[in-house]
Amino acid sequence: MTGTALLFLVLGLGLVAWIAGRARAAAFVRAAKGGPRGQVNSLPSYHGWFVAICAIIPAVFFMFVWQTISPALVTNTVLASPMTTDLPQDGFARAAILSEARAIAQGFQTTAFQAQSEKLVPLYKNALAYYSWIGMAGTLALLFAGGAFAFTRLKPDFRARNKVEYLVMLALLFASLIAIFTTVGIFASLIFESYQFFSMVSPFEFLIGTNWNPKNIVTPGADNGYGAIPLFWGTIFIGAIIAMLVAIPLGLMSAIFLTQYASSNIRKLMKPILEILAGVPTVVYGYFAALTVAPAIRDFAVMLGVSNAASDNALAAGIVMGVMIIPLVSSMSDDSIAAVPNAMRDGSLAMGATKSETIKKVLLPAALPGVVGGVLLAVSRAIGETMIVVMAAGYTANLTANPFDTITTVTVQIVALLTGDQDFGSPHTLAAFALGLALFITTFLLNYVALRVVKRYREAYE
Amino acid sequence: MNKAANNRIPTDWNGAIMQKRIAGRYAAERRFKAMGFVAVALSTLFLAFLLFTMLGQGVRGFQRTEIAVDFDFPTLTSGATAASITGANAEGALNSMDLPGIIELAMSQQYGDKGGELLTSAAVANVRQMLLADPQLISGKQRLWLPVDSRLDVAYKRKGEPAAEKTVETLSQNDVLRTGFNWTFLTGADATDPSAVGIWAAFKGSLMTMAITLLLAFPVGVFAALYLEEYAPKNKLTDMIEVSINNLAAVPSIIFGLLGLAVFLTMFGMPRSSALVGGLTLALMTMPVIVIAGRNAVKSVPPSIREAALGIGASPVQVVFHHVLPLALPGILTGTIIGMARALGETAPLLMIGMRAFIPTAPQGFTDAATALPVQIYLWSDEVNQGFVEKTSAAIIVLLIFLLGMNALAIYLRNRFETRW
Amino acid sequence: MAETPTHSKISTRNVNVFYGEKKAIDNVSIDVDMDNVTAFIGPSGCGKSTFLRSLNRMNDTIVGARVEGSIFLDGQDIYASSMDVVQLRARVGMVFQKPNPFPKSIYDNVAYGPRIHGLASGKAELDQIVESSLTRAGLWAEVKDRLGDSGTALSGGQQQRLCIARAIAVDPEVILMDEPCSALDPIATARIEELIHDLRGKYAIIIVTHNMQQAARVSQRTAFFHLGNLIEFGETSEIFTNPREDRTKDYITGRYG
Repeated sequence: MTGTALLFLVLGLGLVAWIAGRARAAAFVRAAKGGPRGQVNSLPSYHGWFVAICAIIPAVFFMFVWQTISPALVTNTVLASPMTTDLPQDGFARAAILSEARAIAQGFQTTAFQAQSEKLVPLYKNALAYYSWIGMAGTLALLFAGGAFAFTRLKPDFRARNKVEYLVMLALLFASLIAIFTTVGIFASLIFESYQFFSMVSPFEFLIGTNWNPKNIVTPGADNGYGAIPLFWGTIFIGAIIAMLVAIPLGLMSAIFLTQYASSNIRKLMKPILEILAGVPTVVYGYFAALTVAPAIRDFAVMLGVSNAASDNALAAGIVMGVMIIPLVSSMSDDSIAAVPNAMRDGSLAMGATKSETIKKVLLPAALPGVVGGVLLAVSRAIGETMIVVMAAGYTANLTANPFDTITTVTVQIVALLTGDQDFGSPHTLAAFALGLALFITTFLLNYVALRVVKRYREAYE
Repeated sequence: MNKAANNRIPTDWNGAIMQKRIAGRYAAERRFKAMGFVAVALSTLFLAFLLFTMLGQGVRGFQRTEIAVDFDFPTLTSGATAASITGANAEGALNSMDLPGIIELAMSQQYGDKGGELLTSAAVANVRQMLLADPQLISGKQRLWLPVDSRLDVAYKRKGEPAAEKTVETLSQNDVLRTGFNWTFLTGADATDPSAVGIWAAFKGSLMTMAITLLLAFPVGVFAALYLEEYAPKNKLTDMIEVSINNLAAVPSIIFGLLGLAVFLTMFGMPRSSALVGGLTLALMTMPVIVIAGRNAVKSVPPSIREAALGIGASPVQVVFHHVLPLALPGILTGTIIGMARALGETAPLLMIGMRAFIPTAPQGFTDAATALPVQIYLWSDEVNQGFVEKTSAAIIVLLIFLLGMNALAIYLRNRFETRW
Repeated sequence: MAETPTHSKISTRNVNVFYGEKKAIDNVSIDVDMDNVTAFIGPSGCGKSTFLRSLNRMNDTIVGARVEGSIFLDGQDIYASSMDVVQLRARVGMVFQKPNPFPKSIYDNVAYGPRIHGLASGKAELDQIVESSLTRAGLWAEVKDRLGDSGTALSGGQQQRLCIARAIAVDPEVILMDEPCSALDPIATARIEELIHDLRGKYAIIIVTHNMQQAARVSQRTAFFHLGNLIEFGETSEIFTNPREDRTKDYITGRYG
């Protein structure tokens, strides 16, 4: 019996439990009819839910636990058999034979490519059948036990509603905790893999080295090509410099034009158009940058006489990334300008200042903290952006400030290091996690500071 | 005592200096306004240029070049009848017929020794479908239009390699080439020959991934939003949950990919490249978006509704599930659709968990190796073969149409159900 | 702890209500009988609504609110841990200052309470409850042909009567009304007052109002609150014609308030 079928059986029996509980409680209600109010504490359906939950939850929980641990048990059983003594000692070859035998036993694969795995198929079949039988029996036993326990507790004055609602509250709390689990999971996995990486490669080489040319076999003490400075520089150059040179003026001026000058019709038309820019998937931007923008910029550079202009130049990736960020900068500026009290603007206008003077001398200085917060968020967004740089920027680490040259970033290297069938414990894979940790910490700090700045700014005007 | 003030010369507003100054200030005003206009115009132009480029190239991706092939089926199949390829055994009968050989033979009879190379690999499947749809074809001489190889396709549509250009020129003079709609692109999967590729497999992969994402992120997101807005006590734990959610909403998507790789693939040993893991990873990314949108929607339900329900004796859980949640649902759904649209366009985390595999058939289950539409776009964009350019753009058009549809739905929901209290 | 409860429907003994550190109600003891309308009057901010809300534990929903002393419903302490707050609120219904119908149909508004408390065993019985509640609230004739319309589409006065019907539908023993007419026009107010008259025989009604004419018109007993204290409590006719306390007199004659 497959897991899915078992799950449906459990759910079906849960429905039976619900009906049984509800019917029993309905009998209480009939018996109490005509008597004083409140004899039956809860509606029959709550009794039903109580029985159903008691029956299903432990059973499903057991099912999932069993699903995770039974593969290991099956393997152990198979390995305990004398037939497996002649398997190769080499871990990789051994695992390949075992997984093939398992695949055949489960019916995912029809023919064996390795002679040895053929022999193991019956062993696997037996072990799989045995453990899946235990799993099924255990699940159903728990289901009946839970259901029966709950059913016997039903009484007219049993507070089924309170119990069910308590469980609902637990479910809500658990859903909220998933956010914490995720954050902890991200942090723990990044730290754990990075720790392994730094036990192979010195943190100093990583943080202050300028040579990025990662070797897959590392020698302690030697230069292993894990100097990440060129990557950090490339990330800053593309994400925090070029992209911001595009996004800040265009985003800020768009916000000013739309909020201060444009008629309400134009505003209604243009705002959604700017929002579309934010909704275009980054892979589309990346493709556009690589296919159209980058060659145009290279041709332009050659025309200017730049001899070493690359087709995967930093400028193309940076400009397109900047365009992607425009809506973010624009909407944050929009909010900050709108939060400036009207009295300030009126005061300036009443003295005979022009609109642009009012904006430049009064509104923008007053809104500056909000705008700065928005720009920080935009930088955090830009340095974490992956697809545009993967498709349009280069793969070669290059410590240069020439925007027509090729340059690489942290996110590009994460993708590059994890591409191909690397062993999970290899220095390449682990280096990707170390880069990920650096990226996570940076964006976390940027976001934190940005949100603080914006929040304090909003409070100042409330 | 106010001597300086009294002696001050009155401003001559009409004097030449002042007039010039005012004119200068107005000029600055106009320049500033023009700058604002240019900023908006540039952004819009960029968007228009992007969409136009994609559309211009993408349209060709939905077209294919077809070549006329004359089949003398009775001779080629040594007398197969319509009856033999009808009914339950039709598939088997066609399999035993060696269609590739028949087509090869027909092509070399008509276009010389290397005639078979003119066709793309998808042609076999096409002939097969035609015969299944209309078995009568096999009992006579037929002229069928079949898709040509990618090199010729490129040469016919625009400029290709010199050799291919020459072939196309000769064929065109004989009037055996035409442009048709590329059905294969909508129904097929990835292939090495750009003329034979389709997006169905990637699209199905996206749908399956989204299904998992929605199934997990929606209930968890809604429950968390309800808990935080309606029940959470003010304490350390609640603060931690809030910080986590705000932080997760801003974490770069590639980090979620690393999490998926380290936890789901390596720690739990879930199947690599599968829609299941892709959906789980994107669910973690989408959940904070739904929580934030959900909280705003829940917050906008007026407290008088809660009081009314409490006043009749509804329990706090009943208040929320009978009244608050239904009223907040449109807002929650709008946020969910926007979050799902973002997840649908997401590429980087899926690359991390191996959904970049070459997928020549659509995935059948949630644990099968799969790819997603944006990842397919990325993979095709990396191909050197010129024929992939238009396919990439065509896939982008499909993706953009879906995103546009989802966003339009969100806007519609917001306008249709938004209640002002 | 408390004195022996009386045979009154609701009796409170030495009740203090706090909002955080602030004491909003100071040592109030009062008895409310069945078949009576009791009015709580007093200047705004005197704590009468706070006190009212503590009678069906609606104060539980306010963070930092705390009640000391004892409140008995039929001799049963409503703040005892054995008291199910949900059942308490079904027995002690409440009508709020601003009409707050659910954005559901008129029918569903009234049927909601009976449904969650399981008061009807079938559709027919539920229909019966809805009709009788709306009839008793004086709204049946106006809405019987459009029970499917949204409750929010009614006029303000109709909405408030719908809220009263909604409270009646749960078959409460006590109805608390927190300035039920303050958001209504005079004609709608008159209808509600009439309704309170009609309902009197079946429920113990407590109405908070700062309209003294209203208190005089609808109530049999009146309690005067000032700065969180119960100043005077007695027959309405007595209080309005011959108050014992000077502060009551000053308030009634319009010297402050």
